[in-house]
Amino acid sequence: MIADLGYFSILMAFVTAVYAAITSWYGHKKENWRWVESARNATLIVFPLVLLASALLITSIVRNDFSIDYVWRVSSIEMPTYLKFTALWGGQAGSLLFWNLLLSIFTAAAMARKWDEQHDLMPYAIMVGSFTQIFFLALTAFVENPFTRIDSVIIPVDGNGLNPLLRHPGMIIHPPMLYLGFTGFTIPYTFAMAALISGKVDDTWIRTTRRWTLVAWLFLSLGLILGGRWAYDVLGWGGYWGWDPVENASLIPWLAGTAFLHSVMIQEKRDMFKMWNMFLIILTYSLVIYGTFIVRSGVISSVHSFAQSAVGPLFFGFIAIMFIFSAYWLNRRRADLASKNSLQSFLSREAAFLYNNFLILAILAVVFLFTNYPIISELFTGERGFVGPPVYEQALGPLFAVLVLLMGVAPLTMWFRGSVQRLGKAMLWPAVLATVAIVVMIVLGIHLWAALVGFWVVIFSMVLTILEFVKGTHARMKRGENVFVAFSNLMARNRRRYGGYWIHIGVLIMAVGVIGVELFQEETQQQLQVGDTISLGRYEMQFLGVEQRPGADDLIITEATVDVYENGRFVKTLTPRREIYTRTGQPMTIPNARSTILEDFYVLLAEQPTSPDSAIIRVFLNPLINWVWAGGFVFIFGTLIAAWPDAVEDKITAVQARRRPAVVTTGD
Amino acid sequence: MADVSWTNENEGALLERKSSNRLKFVIGGIIMIAAIAFLMINAMSGNTQLYKTVDEFYAEQPRLVGRDLRVSGWVLGDSIQYTQIDATTSRLEFDIVDNYENPGQRLHVVAMNEPMPDLLQDKAQALIEGQGNAEGVFMVNTGGLMLKCPTRYEEMDPSGHPDGVSVDG
Repeated sequence: MIADLGYFSILMAFVTAVYAAITSWYGHKKENWRWVESARNATLIVFPLVLLASALLITSIVRNDFSIDYVWRVSSIEMPTYLKFTALWGGQAGSLLFWNLLLSIFTAAAMARKWDEQHDLMPYAIMVGSFTQIFFLALTAFVENPFTRIDSVIIPVDGNGLNPLLRHPGMIIHPPMLYLGFTGFTIPYTFAMAALISGKVDDTWIRTTRRWTLVAWLFLSLGLILGGRWAYDVLGWGGYWGWDPVENASLIPWLAGTAFLHSVMIQEKRDMFKMWNMFLIILTYSLVIYGTFIVRSGVISSVHSFAQSAVGPLFFGFIAIMFIFSAYWLNRRRADLASKNSLQSFLSREAAFLYNNFLILAILAVVFLFTNYPIISELFTGERGFVGPPVYEQALGPLFAVLVLLMGVAPLTMWFRGSVQRLGKAMLWPAVLATVAIVVMIVLGIHLWAALVGFWVVIFSMVLTILEFVKGTHARMKRGENVFVAFSNLMARNRRRYGGYWIHIGVLIMAVGVIGVELFQEETQQQLQVGDTISLGRYEMQFLGVEQRPGADDLIITEATVDVYENGRFVKTLTPRREIYTRTGQPMTIPNARSTILEDFYVLLAEQPTSPDSAIIRVFLNPLINWVWAGGFVFIFGTLIAAWPDAVEDKITAVQARRRPAVVTTGD
Repeated sequence: MADVSWTNENEGALLERKSSNRLKFVIGGIIMIAAIAFLMINAMSGNTQLYKTVDEFYAEQPRLVGRDLRVSGWVLGDSIQYTQIDATTSRLEFDIVDNYENPGQRLHVVAMNEPMPDLLQDKAQALIEGQGNAEGVFMVNTGGLMLKCPTRYEEMDPSGHPDGVSVDG
């Protein structure tokens, strides 16, 4: 009964989305606004229908209804209840339903807004938004139905349950964050396409969707950071990013979205790059769908395993249709999108944004080509090739360095114009300071040139970014505000700008961590008897023995105890362990680390110990790794500042929209 | 270089400036694209791997011996062995096949000084990077032993290749 009702809800949601697309088009064609309003109401109804289907699937999981194939695959009786809720996105069919749920929330929220100033966009926004919904709902309704009954007359008494490696908070939150980011980007795309089709190609669509874009980008960023943290905590290889195709599938749309977020500022300030911005949001949307295609089709060999299914070719077809549809309208509105202004100086702020876009897209192109190298190489040579992490790092290192440099220099530039003398003057002291810091590092024994160049660029950009806060605060203090009021007002009055600077600081802090761990990581592995020691860097570790004890449920915990000494001084006792779920025989290695701002001394059991007096222990020294996580926090903090609703700014946007003359509507 | 911004120019000068700027941007763009192409080609030269299934490896063994390869396959649980040779040297070995239900040729994989991965067990999907020798032993590069991460709960069908590639031919 529950399964039937769930499937009926999905079917109804699909039919409603089709209705919304058709009636919005019909209403606009007949100039009958009631049909368009009806279409809008239909998009609002899709949300409760998908919500109902999701709630029913969760109910089936919680009630251990193993007559439903999906429930049997992803859950088991002894699984904790909170994991049963998260099992909604634990498999292919459920995660597609979850994707539909998030998409329907975003679409309903976007459509529920007031349309006072954007009546021209509304029918097209409903139509384009519904296209995406129709595709994903069709996948759920006709290809990956999560309510399919099990293919057997005997209903299993228990299900497969969740792999222990996925029972980490980072892994529970990571997929929803990515999905929120992915689905969130459909909203700016929807409005961009509505602007293109309606011919209303001024910056209304950008201002309308600015916050949506930032929110989508925030979630995608969170998803990427949490995925890295999970890998570091759980997988026990001492790393956080492996340039795997599935990881890249999230990074690529994030890069396109980052270029778009920067580029729209030029359109807002200088009315330039309209065509480019349209291209970027179409690219971001296409890459979101492409990323989902890579992840779910298994077309490229990845360390992430996914059940093979029929969705791959359908995704490919959908990307092709949407890309051709978007390209057609982009070409048709070419003349309207032509910029009336042009770049007047190579050192102006708009030029700096252009360089930023070029660099980000260059990084995107490299990651995209390397990710797809297996397909490309097979096409041209008949043999599937593969590109590993060292190739990515070697090709991308210089591009990231230039991007970080630009991050520091760009805020110094001015709109319209710029001069070498002015920039040179502003950069002189930060450059001197960064050089002094590098000399100190050389004296302290750091001689790796790649690290020295990297640190110089990061310090230089960091000083320049901090100076932006200092100058802004100082200017406000001249008006009589004290330092704290001046600093907080500075950010409150210009959230996007200073939120953006906080994001830059976050990236720079992360860059310090990346340089540290990528270039200076050390590791060793040894078999130790009680009392034996391992030395790594300035650390020494003494092995004290192994203990075994039962844990909760069917768990057996084998825990080693080691004392860690730094420069001969005792600093901490660590207890790396291996847990074995006896029912499934699945082991799980839990590392233990001594974390400081300078490094992690990261210890794990390399193999299941067979005696209380002996163990094979692997040790990593991960310099500056915690800067990666700290930078992530600052990054998210900055994005929140930039995306936080600002009543004054919203009012200005509304007034500007009202004052703007009606732009050609060609009646397409 | 002086200030390149301009003010109070007449329309002709403006148009001239506009087209000259465009030309500079085009030339700059071409140089940057060339630089990026160089970075990519330089990074890739001699560093790319060939992706092969187990059967493909054996079919072309003479040509592939000593080359950097990426191979994936199903792990046969009874072949897994972890030996600690001395205090600092360990040897992990196991066999992989293209199709678990209908195993053809086995590739014997050897990884030195690698920790025992949690996911290395019967029917696991291994992804290995390294070089094979003429005797059919595949030596894994440092850090080149990867077990497919269970990003989804669902099990894959072991009666086919882990990467979904055709293994019939």
